[in-house]
Formats: sequence, C-alpha cells, structure tokens
Amino acid sequence: MIKKVLIANRGEIAVRIIRACREMGIETVAVYSEADKEALHAKLADEAVCIGPAASAESYLSMDRIISATIVTGADAIHPGFGFLSENSRFAELCEQCNITFIGPDSKVIAKLGNKQEARNTMAAAGVPVIPGSTEPIYDAAAGAVIAGEVGYPVIVKAALGGGGKGMRIANTPEEFERSFQTAQKETQMAFGDNTMYIEHFVQHPRHIEFQILADHYGNVVHLGERDCSIQRNHQKMIEESPSVALSDELRERMGEAAVKAAKAAGYQNAGTIEFLLEKSGSFYFMEMNTRIQVEHPVTEWVTGIDLIKEQIRIASGRKLAFAQEDIHLNGHAIECRINAENPAKGFRPSPGTITDMYLPGGKGIRIDSAIYSGYTIPPYYDSMVAKLIVWAKNRSEAIRKMQSALGEVIIEGIDTNVDYQYEILGRPDYLSGDIDIEFIAENEEALHRALYR
Amino acid sequence: MKLDNVFKKTRLASGRKGYIALNSARPEVPEGLLRKCNKCGSAIIAEDVKSDYYICPKCGGYFRVHAYRRIEMVADEGTFEEWDRELVTPNPLDYKGYEEKIGSLKEKTGLEEAIVTGKACIDGTETVLGVCDGRFLMASMGEVVGEKIARAVERATAERLPVILFACSGGARMQEGIVSLMQMAKTSAALKRHSDEGLLYISVLTDPTTGGVTASFAMLGDVILAEPKALIGFAGPRVIEQTIGQKLPKGFQRSEFLLEHGFIDGIVERPQLKETLSQILTLHEEKGSTTAVEESDLSDGELTSKGMEITNSLAEAWDRVQISRMNDRPVGSDYIRELFTDFIEFHGDRYFADDKAVIGGVARFRGIPVTVIAQAKGTNTKENIERNFGMPSPDGYRKALRLMKQAEKFGRPVICFVDTPGAFCGLEAEERGQGEAIARNIYEMSALKVPVLSVIIGEGGSGGALAMAVADEVWMMENSVYSILSPEGFASILWKDSSKAKEAAGVMRLTAEDLYRMGIVEQVFAEPSRYTVENLKEVTHKLASGIEQFLIRYGQMSAAELTAHRYERFRRI
Repeated sequence: MIKKVLIANRGEIAVRIIRACREMGIETVAVYSEADKEALHAKLADEAVCIGPAASAESYLSMDRIISATIVTGADAIHPGFGFLSENSRFAELCEQCNITFIGPDSKVIAKLGNKQEARNTMAAAGVPVIPGSTEPIYDAAAGAVIAGEVGYPVIVKAALGGGGKGMRIANTPEEFERSFQTAQKETQMAFGDNTMYIEHFVQHPRHIEFQILADHYGNVVHLGERDCSIQRNHQKMIEESPSVALSDELRERMGEAAVKAAKAAGYQNAGTIEFLLEKSGSFYFMEMNTRIQVEHPVTEWVTGIDLIKEQIRIASGRKLAFAQEDIHLNGHAIECRINAENPAKGFRPSPGTITDMYLPGGKGIRIDSAIYSGYTIPPYYDSMVAKLIVWAKNRSEAIRKMQSALGEVIIEGIDTNVDYQYEILGRPDYLSGDIDIEFIAENEEALHRALYR
Repeated sequence: MKLDNVFKKTRLASGRKGYIALNSARPEVPEGLLRKCNKCGSAIIAEDVKSDYYICPKCGGYFRVHAYRRIEMVADEGTFEEWDRELVTPNPLDYKGYEEKIGSLKEKTGLEEAIVTGKACIDGTETVLGVCDGRFLMASMGEVVGEKIARAVERATAERLPVILFACSGGARMQEGIVSLMQMAKTSAALKRHSDEGLLYISVLTDPTTGGVTASFAMLGDVILAEPKALIGFAGPRVIEQTIGQKLPKGFQRSEFLLEHGFIDGIVERPQLKETLSQILTLHEEKGSTTAVEESDLSDGELTSKGMEITNSLAEAWDRVQISRMNDRPVGSDYIRELFTDFIEFHGDRYFADDKAVIGGVARFRGIPVTVIAQAKGTNTKENIERNFGMPSPDGYRKALRLMKQAEKFGRPVICFVDTPGAFCGLEAEERGQGEAIARNIYEMSALKVPVLSVIIGEGGSGGALAMAVADEVWMMENSVYSILSPEGFASILWKDSSKAKEAAGVMRLTAEDLYRMGIVEQVFAEPSRYTVENLKEVTHKLASGIEQFLIRYGQMSAAELTAHRYERFRRI
C-alpha cells in the first residue's frame, strides 16, 4: 500500500488529493513554486517542498526536481493531478525507472493514447466508432463523391496539408459535393501548392459526452456513466453535468460499452476518460482518451457515490476494483460550474490579485473544491480556475435551481470572476431545456453579454 | 489570513515508521538516469541530453560528443565507412606506462585511437570525415592521429572528395614527443596538396581546440566553423595566465572571440550543423564550367541593351550625390537578398578582425555558385554604427580579398557591390595598414583568374571603392557616384572651402552619366524616382539579366583572356 504521496500539482486539485490521502491515512508532500509559498496546498500538506521559480517550466513541469523532491522526502508515489505533467509519458516513465508509483496508467499507454493518429487507429481496430473518413488521399471529385457517400453526409473536404481553415468546405448533400470539393481543392492548390484532399464525415452541432472509466491491474474495467461537457468556450469547458439529458438508458449502455472496449483496447489501468462527440442522430464518435483525473470528476463522484481519487490510489496500490458494472447506478443529477479569476466583460482576460473578502455557500447538496481563502493572492502565472462549485439534487431542474441559488451566494471580492456569467448561462432557455451542444456559448455569447453588460 | 501551522497534519498509525516494505525496491534514482550539467550545474535527465544533440536543456551548454555520435549527427544513416581503424599506437620515446594507458583507454572507450576517419555522405554528398574523440587522451595528436588524417586527406585528394575534420583536442601528444610535433607538418602538408587540387576542406572547431591542433589542421580550412562557446586557442588559458601574470577577460579564446577576431567563418548551433555543412558542400560541388547559368525565362527576348539608361536626365551632380547618400536607399544586403539564393555569409580576414562594413560569402545566382561581396551600410542608425557607416577597415578589405582568392580556387565568379563614403579614416586603420590593404586588393584583383563584376550601388568613394572595383566590368546605378574623393574633400583641397561641395560636384564628373561617357563604367541602370527597398525589384530585375549575360560572356573566357581583358581595361585609361 502507498504510504506517502507527493502531489505534483497545485491549486484545488492538489488540495483535493491531499484531503483524499488524509482520509486514507496516507502522508502527503506538496511541491510548490516560489510564487505559491502562500498557496493552500503547500500549507495543508504534511510536508511541502519548494521546487523552483514561478515559471511552470522551472517548477511544476520540472521532472528532475519533482523526482528529487520525491526521493528526498521518501514518498513512494506521485499523484500528478491534471495539467502539468499528468499526461507526460516521459514523466511517467521516469517514475517507473525510479521505482516511484505513478498514480495513473503505464507510461506506454499514455504515449500511445497521446498520439492522436495511433489512438484513433487503436480504437477503430477495437471496433470503437471513430469519425468516418477517407483512408487514402483523394485527387478528383468523382472519386471523392464515392467516398463521401460511404462516410455519410454532411461531409467536410479538407486539404491534406491544411490548416487555418484554408482548403476546407462542407457539403451537406451529394448535390453540393462536386462544387465544394472543387472549391476546396482550388483553395488548397493556391494556399499549399498541392491538391491532395481528404474527406471526413462532418459532425454537426455535437454534444461533448465523456465517459469515466476505472480499470484495475487485473483486467477489470467499469464505466461510471457520462458527463455532458457541451458548455465550453474556445474548447475550455465551463459547466459539466451528469447524467446527460441526451442519453437514453439504451444509448448510455452502448456508449458505456464502447468506453470499456476502448479502455481495454488501450490496455488501460487507473482512472481515465473517453471523450465522444454525440450527434443529434444518436451516432457517436471517439475523440480522444484522457489519461488522468479530470477537473469535472466531482459530478461523477456525486451521482455514483464513488471517490475517484481514492480509487486511483487504491488501483495504483495494486488493489482490485471493489465493484462491478452492475453495482454502478447513477443517482440524481450533478452539475459543476468552474469559477475562474477572469473578466468576461473584457474578453475573459485573467484577473489575478488578492482576494480581500470571500464568502462561499454551503448546505445540503453543495460542494466546493477550491484553493482560495480570504487574503490569498492569486498569482498570475497559472491557470485561472480557482474554485469549482458542484451541486447535487434529485433531478436536473432541481440541480439547476440549486446551482443558481449557490452561485447567487458566492462572494469573491478583490478580483473579477465569471460567477455572474455562469449564473446567466443557467438561465438561458436552451440550457434549461437541455438543448445544448458545443456551439452553445458561441451562439449565446451576444445574448449573454447583453444580459450582463448592456 | 495567515495559514502558517494552522492545519492538523496526518498522524501515522503507531508502528508505521518501523514498517518494512515487502517490496524492497525503495524509490531511488537509478545510476545514469540523471546527470549534472558541467556548465550550469543543474540536474538533467541524461536521455534528454542525448536526444537533443547533447545540449543541456536548462542552460543550452554543449556537452562534448563522442566521435561516433558526432558522425551519426552529421552523416546520412548507414553511409559511414571507417578507414584505418587498425593502425597501432607506437611508443617512440619508450615512455613508461604509455602502452598500458593506451590499452586501458581502448578498453574503456571502445576506440582504437583519438580520431575516427572515413567516408560518409551528408545529404547525399560524399565527403571524407575525421572526428576527434576527447575521451582518448584529450584527443591529443600522436603519430596515429596524424597518420589517419594524412591518409584520409590523401585519399580525398586522389578521389577528389571534400574533407571535413571535427577538431576537439588538447594539442600534440606529449608522450610521443617530437614525433607528435611532426604530425602538425604532416597533416598540414597533406591538406596543402588537397587544396592545390582545388578541393574543399571544412574545419569544424569544437570545445576544446588548442595547441598543436589549432596550429595545424584545425586552422587551415577553406571554411572554418565553430560550435558556440568552444575554447579555441594555441596556448591554453591557464598557461597564458601563469606566463603573463594576469587574469584573462571573460570569453577570451571562445568561439565568439575568434569570430570577432576574424579567425572563423561562422558559429553554427549543433542542430543546424548538418544542414550548414550540406549547404557548403553542395555550393562547392564540381559541376563543369561557370557558364552553366540556368537559363531563366527572363533571358529570352529581354536582353538588356548594354549602355546607359537614365530616368531623370535633368538632375544635377549634387542632387545625385545627395540621392546616393539617402538613408532609405537599398544597401548591399538588400541586393544580396534580392538577387541570390542560398547565401551563406563567411566572416573574418584570418588576421585581426571581422569587419562588419563588408559582407561576403557564397551564394547561388540562378543555380550557379558565386562569391558575393558587398560594402555594407546599415539600414538604421544602430546598424550603421555597427557597420561603421559602410567605411571598411583594412580587415574588411582583407576579408574581401580572402573571399576572392577562395573564389579563384574554386573557379567561382566574383560579384562586388560598392557603396562606401571611403575607406575608414582612423588611427587603428592606419596601424593595420589601410593603404597596404587597398593596394593589395587592387593588385590581386587585377589578375584574379575568375570573372569579376563590380556594381556601384550608392557612393563610390575613392580608393576605398576601387579596392573592390578592379573588375572586368563596372556598372553603376543611375544615382550612384564614383569619384577620387567626396565633393566636400575635393572643395576643401582645391579651394580650401568644403562648403563649396555643390560646385565641386558639378566639376568632378562623378555621375554615372559622366563616367559612362568617359569609359570608366560599362553600364548604367535607371532608378525609380524614389528608390527604396519597396521598388528595389524594378532595378534588380534588369540587373539580374545583366548579371546573367555577364556570367555567360565572361564565363566562356579562359583565365588568360580574363586577366588580359582586365589589364587592358585599366591600361587604356
């Protein structure tokens, strides 16, 4: 069993891991940068080691320093949290070489899943649906039309050497195809001096649905249901919930099976997340697999009653999963809002600074994972997420009302936050009805701004 | 709120401290996983260093590279063929313990001696390669090292191949005494024969290159490159400090110091080394005569009529003087960028300095390699100060001459761009022989065995300009000037009044038009009314077809015809 864990991270996730360890009777070592001397994780852990200057590259990303801190403090495992080195296969490999338990999957698995093409091929081979597309380069419209028919409309024609949206065209119907292909190819020829094209099925207005899985070292894999993370801005998730209104029990079962299949195909161990794009038609496609704990893990914890961090540590210690798929039931509805130190009125620019006063709500069904406290100065060097507010209720509408109530109570003085913006999102009719997809923020941005800053 | 020592810590269950792990493998860093950078002292992951050209990921410092690793870095995979590995190290002085020392080094390093020689391809170009390995007695040069270099160079001469030697050495090998000293002569002599056959030798200096190696093969390259911050010198810094009883300045005898002092052509970062070597090699590939200009689409039909083209015939001489000095007028580097491809700059005069008032190097003009030399004004005040406002020092002329002689060796035409108010007038310039340097250039250029073209693009100031204009043809831009002296100087000497510069300009016959009529220049190129880099293409377009015709015409002439023609050109004036 692991006795002492070094947490190679900062912020709320470091605090979250320290708490889980404490509950398990495991000693904790925090590492911190010179800018994080006053950070909560450094104060809360049993021991804390300063590993370098503020710049991440010289502290939280410095593999040799983190390894040295582990050896020096006698920790036997490292929890990487998310971000920083969490999906760095080199780091995981170094831990393996130094006999340090890396709380996560094997380094080779991280490397394999980190390579988009290899991950896609692995999944396709295992029968996990991937976005259908041409496997060979296409040079003329007639050949392209045949492929387009096979991958299914709408399709997107892309330049092989493409980038920046150049040489890309969408064809919604076979009638549109020839023109779209030729325009895209002409553009490609002009922009890249090449006319090699690819065709892919175009996933329109998809939802971002991801499945949490747990896999032990004995081949047992379970999924813990889904999270709907469609509310995102510039690919940054803002609000996550579980379960998703878009999944029937039948679809959940199919997607869950695909997720388990994906994890098995990758030879996965520990906690991981399989991200899918879900079309309105009910078709879903594998996007990528995240080989770490995720920011939004609390919503899954709440609807399944399973502590994911503790499970990660148990699995890393070589324990068998204590439950099977049939033991997992989704109960009620959980929503998470990410609270960022940023100013939505000014293009969401980060807003570091000192928190002069603070009040955070509590009560039944309210959970706050944060690393801020009154008088704490948020340094400008790192991610702007400072807290997560998670609520649970019997059903979605009650959960939304609870979240609105909780957000309405949040007071964080001294810095700008996105709390009001989140509050406003929850009030949008499409959000309330559950009619959301990854374009939601883009399509509602103007209305949200008008409501907030008119 | 202060949070120091407020939280309760994890209390371990009793007896836990004495816990004996069943899995006895405690976390530890295995031997060789981490290493220390000897430059910055940081712990670094050994693997990262290896995969990153043996450069410290923290401080960018260079680690010394084993010979075979070096070969892997520059040679095409699987192309290296080693030569003379079997040569046995002798013990000419019967020096006690030498054989044992050699024996144990062989075992430890897996090398037979301190240098690996052979043949390889770099991006497909065949070359002879020699690489010193510092692990073997600091790669000192004993008989076997000298012998392997001499044999490799001799074979390169016989097979007409270029040679690249990577130096990394403490110098001569003390244990072999006078025999070691003689290797300096042996290697140098072999390189001389190689050079006399018109073949290319590139020397790459790595940390450290000192003593008898510096004083022989390392410093004899047609092109000498160095890695950043390498220690390069004859006497070691410690010996110098002890001898003169002074502390040496920071950076003394480092690559950057040598570059500044004119002894190396350039400093190349390790990741770019292969590409740079490959570029230099292909620029020196033997490909028949210099007349093989790639026929461009331009050349048909659009043959520029020889002679004079002038846009603004009303401008007075003084106006042209002022236009020629405009600070947004295109400068030498603009012409180089616009007219040539693959330009690689070579630095230094190999005597004292690298004069930034002269830019020189090798480039391609429509496919064929040419040597390009430009007197360089800056494009802003800062650059102008750095380039001394285009006023070359003796070092600049000596660099130009060195590059011209190099062009002669490799049969490349020389194209000069002249743009100087005059040779630099200063104390140091006189100390180092400004007059001698100009005279030497005029003297040597008159008999250079390759075509020489000079284009006056701005100011053609006196001897400072002529030292780069003893050419087969001299061309001028419409608003450039070429004269015995600046109009200010002319007025001052003849009329004792430099404010009469305007009148002086009127009588000096310094405009392109005047000089064309006097037969001093062969062609004059029209300029746009406001000539800047913006409309440079309008001029270089015509200039390029002129150069093409020049190269075709003079490229066909024999060395004797060329020098006779050039002699006549000045003899008749």
